[in-house]
Amino acid sequence: MDVIQVNELTKYYGKSRGIENLSFSVLEGEIFGFIGPNGAGKSTTIRLLLSLIHPTSGLASIFGKDVTKKGPEIRSQVGYLPSEVFYYDHMHVGELLKYSASFYPGDHKERISYLAEVMELEMNRKIRDLSYGNKKKVGIVQGLLHNPTLLFLDEPTSGLDPLMQRKFFDLIREENKKGVTVFFSSHFLGEVQRLCDRVGIIREGKMVEISDIHTLQKNNYKKIGVLGRHEPASFEMPGVSNLHREGEWTQFFYSGDINQVLQRVSGFEIQDLSIGEPTLEEIFMHYYE
Amino acid sequence: MRMYFRELKAGIKSLLIWTVVIALLIVVAVVKFSAFESNPESLAILDSMPPQLMEALSMRAFNLTTLEGFFGAMFVFFALMGAMAAALWGSEAIAKEERERTVEFTLVLPIPRRQIVTAKLLAALTNCALFVLFTWVISVVASRSYDPGKSLFDFLRLEMLAMFMIELVFLSLGTLLACASKTPRRVGSMAIGLILGLYFISIFAGMHEKLSWLKFLTPFSWFNASEFFRSGRFEPYALVLTGVTVVICLFAAYFTYDRRDLYI
Repeated sequence: MDVIQVNELTKYYGKSRGIENLSFSVLEGEIFGFIGPNGAGKSTTIRLLLSLIHPTSGLASIFGKDVTKKGPEIRSQVGYLPSEVFYYDHMHVGELLKYSASFYPGDHKERISYLAEVMELEMNRKIRDLSYGNKKKVGIVQGLLHNPTLLFLDEPTSGLDPLMQRKFFDLIREENKKGVTVFFSSHFLGEVQRLCDRVGIIREGKMVEISDIHTLQKNNYKKIGVLGRHEPASFEMPGVSNLHREGEWTQFFYSGDINQVLQRVSGFEIQDLSIGEPTLEEIFMHYYE
Repeated sequence: MRMYFRELKAGIKSLLIWTVVIALLIVVAVVKFSAFESNPESLAILDSMPPQLMEALSMRAFNLTTLEGFFGAMFVFFALMGAMAAALWGSEAIAKEERERTVEFTLVLPIPRRQIVTAKLLAALTNCALFVLFTWVISVVASRSYDPGKSLFDFLRLEMLAMFMIELVFLSLGTLLACASKTPRRVGSMAIGLILGLYFISIFAGMHEKLSWLKFLTPFSWFNASEFFRSGRFEPYALVLTGVTVVICLFAAYFTYDRRDLYI
């Protein structure tokens, strides 16, 4: 069953583009990655789905209900972690979570203390005194405390240290195992790849590609740099592109079996080797080649 | 309900500040009254002032040597303070969330937007009612030492009712302003500007016969202290205009807030 269905959704802010004719669907129980650079329309899409803003044209539904008509009903089962969290400064963390929980039916006390423990959140501090990362943790607990069946995460890991990021990912996986559908927006391909089943790539308000994560991984590019004495032509092999060389530093993109590159590299005496993720822009270049 | 109480709690400080200010104003004024009390000579000073100015400040209608007259002349301050406080409470409740960007959190809660407006509006209304009540109590207490009679209490009651009516008008204007505005930062100054504009219109309306039609445009003229001091009641047109303004503003406020985009 489709939890989210988006059909030709378009949003203009006056004359400037938000998104254009966006269509996609998210299946129940999957983790859907939504990747694109800043300003591509990721937050616009999420805000449209949460009926924080209204579409210029097109349709969107969640749980089979029109988002423009059944907003409150839909939102009672939705958790949302915005890219930047803002809460009432003068409230204490516990007070804010209790306030938020009071809008959802049922008792959420145990759930709150469980989540706060996992995210190592101090409940008796004032929101005003919290660092960016700690506010984000409040956002995570607040987004999950009512056991939503659909989660919107808008660049959720910014501000979290690596340890917290891992705990957060574990938490999301755990929720997902319970059947929660996750819509995960990011401009960082790496974290999406680790978590998601499918990804949609958005660029300039349009969906460029929706693909299964395994398919994407097959033509997944690595950015490889080699420093040391070696033959200039030695890396001209299948799967290598954008090869360029400056003195003893060679850089290229590679997609394919990583072992083959490593075998080539081991044939030289090198000083340094770097294998990293290409930037999103570089990935997009691939889609436009 | 929870939102209403949160709003109330968030607004307590502001209510206290306004109350302290009006209390100081009343106490200082009443102390000054001792100079006017049963002292016709002091009136001579006022008589030497330009009559237009006295008219504009609606001080001519009042005999400042009596407590009633004195509180009648004070009404300008009650009306202006009530208008400002109400307009700010009405607009701030909504604009503040946008300015401090907490609005995203609030709008994602599983409640319709009109419920959010209602909660904020009721909290602001509570503040308005309490503000009038405090003003009333402080006035009564402050005038105690002059041994006031029933006529003062009757007039004060009317005056406080008028203050509340003016609050209602500006509360709904402020709410509409915040609901319809795309620039939450400017809502407060827009509201104050509107109040001052309407106040000056009420002065012009009183200055010249030819301009008297202006009085239909501004709540400060609808509830003119010298008129209800004389007649002991409000003009029916004033009550109708108040009701119509409040209904139209609130309807427009709910309508626009429900349809607008979140701006942050």
